[in-house]
Amino acid sequence: MTAVGPQAAVQVDIPPPIRPRERGTPLEWALMHLAFVAIAAFFLAPFVWLFAAAFDAEATAYIRVPGRLTLDNFTYIFRELAFAKALANSAIVAGATTLLVVLTVTLAGYGLSRLELRRKGWITFAVLLLQTMPLSATMVPIYGLARLLGLRNSYLGLILIHAAIELPFLVWLMKGFFDSVPRQLEEAAWLDGRSKLRALFEIVLPVARPGIAVAAGLSFISAWAEVLMVIILVDKQDMKTVPLAFYETFRTAGGYVEVQYGLVAAMGVLYLLPVMAVFFATRRLMVRGLVSGTKGL
Amino acid sequence: MIPGGGGAAAPARPVPRDALRRQAPYLFGLAPAAILLAAFFVGPALWAAYASLTNTALVGIDAARPRFVGLANYERLLGDPDFANVIRNSVVFVVGSAVVGQFVLGLSLALLIDHAERRGYRLATLAYAAVLLAWVNPTVIAGFLWVAMFDFYNGSLNTGLALAGAGPVDWLGQFPMLSVVIANTWRGAAFTMLIFLGALKTIPSDIYEAARVDGANAWRRFWDHTLPSLRPIGALALLSITMSTFGTFILIQTLTNGGPGTQTEVIALYAFHEAFRSYAIGYGSAIAVVMLLINFAFAIVYLRWSRARA
Amino acid sequence: MARVEYDDVWKRFPGSDRVAVHALTLDVADGELLVLLGPSGCGKTTALRMLAGLEHPDGGDIRIDGRSVLRLEPKDRDVALVFQSYALYPHLSVRNNIGYPLRVRGLTLAQQAERIGRAAALLRIEHLLARRPGQLSGGEQQRVALARAIVREPRVFCMDEPLSNLDAKLRTHTRTELKALQKDLGTTTIFVTHDQAEAMTLADRIAVLDQGRLQQLGTPDDVYRHPANLFVAQFIGSPPMNILAAHRHDGELVVEEAWRIPAPAVRDHHGGTALTVGLRPEAITIEQDGGGPGEVLVSEPLGSEVIVNVKVGSALVKVRTAPDVRPGPGTRVRLAAQPGEVRLFDPSSGTALD
Repeated sequence: MTAVGPQAAVQVDIPPPIRPRERGTPLEWALMHLAFVAIAAFFLAPFVWLFAAAFDAEATAYIRVPGRLTLDNFTYIFRELAFAKALANSAIVAGATTLLVVLTVTLAGYGLSRLELRRKGWITFAVLLLQTMPLSATMVPIYGLARLLGLRNSYLGLILIHAAIELPFLVWLMKGFFDSVPRQLEEAAWLDGRSKLRALFEIVLPVARPGIAVAAGLSFISAWAEVLMVIILVDKQDMKTVPLAFYETFRTAGGYVEVQYGLVAAMGVLYLLPVMAVFFATRRLMVRGLVSGTKGL
Repeated sequence: MIPGGGGAAAPARPVPRDALRRQAPYLFGLAPAAILLAAFFVGPALWAAYASLTNTALVGIDAARPRFVGLANYERLLGDPDFANVIRNSVVFVVGSAVVGQFVLGLSLALLIDHAERRGYRLATLAYAAVLLAWVNPTVIAGFLWVAMFDFYNGSLNTGLALAGAGPVDWLGQFPMLSVVIANTWRGAAFTMLIFLGALKTIPSDIYEAARVDGANAWRRFWDHTLPSLRPIGALALLSITMSTFGTFILIQTLTNGGPGTQTEVIALYAFHEAFRSYAIGYGSAIAVVMLLINFAFAIVYLRWSRARA
Repeated sequence: MARVEYDDVWKRFPGSDRVAVHALTLDVADGELLVLLGPSGCGKTTALRMLAGLEHPDGGDIRIDGRSVLRLEPKDRDVALVFQSYALYPHLSVRNNIGYPLRVRGLTLAQQAERIGRAAALLRIEHLLARRPGQLSGGEQQRVALARAIVREPRVFCMDEPLSNLDAKLRTHTRTELKALQKDLGTTTIFVTHDQAEAMTLADRIAVLDQGRLQQLGTPDDVYRHPANLFVAQFIGSPPMNILAAHRHDGELVVEEAWRIPAPAVRDHHGGTALTVGLRPEAITIEQDGGGPGEVLVSEPLGSEVIVNVKVGSALVKVRTAPDVRPGPGTRVRLAAQPGEVRLFDPSSGTALD
């Protein structure tokens, strides 16, 4: 896996060239390890704090071993802040989004890979262009559109918009995966007597399974984590998803009273864990996929 | 025995309908994605372009009957001192956190980890995983984590400084831009790192061996071979993170909400505030259109470069 | 069992100026093994894929047993294709790969097992049935691909360079087996290759293509001994036919201004007295008697024979001799051409004149 950009997403792994291993001096060893520790400290410190604070009865903003280990923060967010409902909403939205995305990008990726059209380059170009479009620029019209179509405060609205957000990138990714599936496979299946649709399901999709898994994983993470569209589209209590619950608890607390760090951290832990689980379970595939383009908000 | 029919007439053109019929299944496959993209990408962008030519508002008299106002919103934009400030902030933020922060840090991390892998130092994996975790972490959590880190009274940074005998720093109050730049660098360094790590693995080892045979020392090999071979992909990475950083919204909104005052108000926040706080949808749309156009320009350059590479 | 006809078939790929297949007309008899031979990009694979329904001609017609197949989907043509890459289904076992076309046709499991067993036995791959394609060697994969094709008992076999991914030794061996198998089954077969030796050994008839045009259609003997033009003359045979400039003079041919050979009878052409002469390396004999128009440059012993490179005028002539004839560099030699094996070509068009 090599390159930037969408192009790269799909290249078949080339085994890295074997390079001669040189032995470092003890000084080099020491300096390098010092650097690793410093990097890990910088990048992990906030997370260490998050997990410690979530179980700390008197959590504050600095990192410390919890004074008193407790589950009170978790009990509170479920009992008083209806966090269970938010988790359920998020699970529904992220799950349905994943299904919709996998179905859509599989069809589109395959179509785009196999399409023979003189203007095909333009379609690919357009997809890539959409991928670079910042969501923060179109949130106002999306808000207007959702209001117009009655998609605010509804599962359907969240599912559709979250699916759409991930489409350009994943269509590209899947096109690449299908490009790497030799056409001869489906041609062989056609000649063996299968229709094009059944050849797709029986021969091409099983071969493209790793790509489909990446698409599923990425769309789940994205739909689970995304907050901007949720802020715009949801303002009813019982439609809140995890990101919004987290955001609101954190914002309102920050605005008027002292931040309830323990509560927000507890939410953060439950918000973060599924992302970590999905990502690290499929790290290799994911990294390969994600490198080809992310949207930072 | 006889050479096949030499100079026969030019072949009939393919029946277009036939060719199209064969492509139809693939086009149908594209349809669902196309509908979603049209509804949530193309449509909103076009609507923003249209709304930017009107005085559409969320409330008040203009909400009921928006009027066509031509380029008035854009004229106002050009003369708007706030907008000039916003552009300045955006540039500082992008240069600080993407070009300097993420790019330099990401490149350094990649070189370090690649080197460690060659040396067989296992601890590099921990550093690698830590960087990745900050990246997959939902943005709004990142904002929250750094609010805590930067907290004046109890934040980890100031607690650490106090241990070292240094006075507390009012991070978000006194150095708001630096703070959001640090947070965004933390969040996004992984992308550049991953790209360079991938690129480093593709540099053929015989280049190094040849250079070594020629007597080049490690630094020379690095300057003469490693860096030049990273240049093309580095340019793409830089454009890519520039685009994504330019659209930053949530991170800054949670950290400072553009403040104090307007010191960290970048373009996406400004558009949002104009549209939802001031309810001036038309004006907010004009800002969004400018944002789209700038991004569009970057994207075109990006696509041309990446195509040239391929 | 089928007869295959290409009738004035044209194909041009979108976005390309070149005509991939140019007015191809071919008639393949029932049970025949026809080889489409030519360099890469000559249109042979395209021609094959059009028969299978994987490409679509811009003009002309393709018929199997007299019925046009152009409107039929690949699945309805009853044509089996062995791909150069074999295209085995990587997620299915060898058994299920071979059985896939049978499953598609709705045969019972017992019928499937019986036919898979028969095909596997024929290709001696019974011991591989439980494996996945990824666990097989190239030669084994090739056999599985063949088995998947023959198990269907299709009307026509199409083979797209099926041997080109095998190593040299296995290729020669498989080619012999393939020919025997085809004769056994008696299924009409169209075989695509760029390897002239493969074509010569396998084919009932060879169709030589270049730049989308059929250059010659004939038996291997025909094509070898009576090439229709200079392209065929130089494409077939290793080393290829010697092509030399000559002119007619007093009932003789003066080759490269240095070497006189008796002129064969020739039909009229408009090249005046200038001619192009084609001589197979084995149609020339060397007489080493210390004089003559040729000067030996180098002799290349190949074990069973020697290729002697002789400079005649400004041209290089390759001569195939017995293993004991090995003149050293610089030797002056006299050459003689076998009278019946002198081929003449029109120097401007390159077409044969006999």
